[in-house]
Amino acid sequence: METSNIWAVIPAYNEEKSISETIGKTKKHVSNIVVVDDGSKDKTAILGQKEGAVVLSHIVNLGKGAALKTGCDYATRNHAKFIIALDADAQHNPDDIPRFIEKLKKYDIVFSYRRPSRKMPIVLSFGNWFISNVVSLLYGVKLNDTQCGFRAFSKEAYKKVRWNASDYSMESEMISRTGKQKLKYVQIPISTIYSDKYKGTTVIDGIKIVLNMLWWRLINSR
Amino acid sequence: MVKMALGIQIAGSLFGLFMIYYSFLNYKRKEFTIKELIFWISSWVIFMIIALFPSLLEPIVLRVGFLRALDLLTISGFFFLIAGMFYTYIITRKNQKQIEIIVRELAIKGNKRK
Repeated sequence: METSNIWAVIPAYNEEKSISETIGKTKKHVSNIVVVDDGSKDKTAILGQKEGAVVLSHIVNLGKGAALKTGCDYATRNHAKFIIALDADAQHNPDDIPRFIEKLKKYDIVFSYRRPSRKMPIVLSFGNWFISNVVSLLYGVKLNDTQCGFRAFSKEAYKKVRWNASDYSMESEMISRTGKQKLKYVQIPISTIYSDKYKGTTVIDGIKIVLNMLWWRLINSR
Repeated sequence: MVKMALGIQIAGSLFGLFMIYYSFLNYKRKEFTIKELIFWISSWVIFMIIALFPSLLEPIVLRVGFLRALDLLTISGFFFLIAGMFYTYIITRKNQKQIEIIVRELAIKGNKRK
């Protein structure tokens, strides 16, 4: 597969500790990297530029969903055919990218799941299990890990799943749109490092996600 | 009872006066247009009249089946609060969406690819 039209989109908020490492590792597999600095108060944007990534800066913090959407919009406007979304906190290993690219030959969207591990916080494990079952019940999309943000999709698929949520519920909105649009999807296992337990999806986010999914199923059809 | 009613009337009038002053202040700071100033001052004057002469509401109170003017004011107050909350929610959501669009577009346009 031609790699010049593959873009990696990395939303980042106060990630000066890990952004250089994430970009450095991603560069080995993808030449087009866009970092969306979501109103960081640290050196995330400067470090991103130093590493040679395109840095788009939100002047205020909008949330992961909005940041990822900015990056994906930028990539598609610059003729991206495939997009790989990954987190900036070094939780995702960019060395998994070739496996995503391989799957994109056959599927519209490639989801990933974190292998069950004792290191995964119990609340997160339970939340994931619960949300996965709700997603399966409401949308018929069977995924092991609905909140894992390491994903890849084609430009055409992005147009169909382009989410409205500006926060973490974008992960679930994307899945619900995948189900509604009957896109071809697959999931692959990835290894994960849990770096900061105070970042990512919280219990409140989880409740919001479940309520949103019910809403999208009942009312907000596309 | 008389003392309490008087207390409420005084508090209501003082509150109304303060809000008139605050509305005028906003007009002077050019936050309000003259139309908005007239609307808000009229609203606070009506509020003060009702606070001072609650008996004016009696015909309405009896017609809608309340026993006291205070009951009518309390229920009306709740209606206004709910309507106000709803209106504020709509405005906030609208602003939030507009801010998101502006911030995202600024980020993309601020970094056009060479």
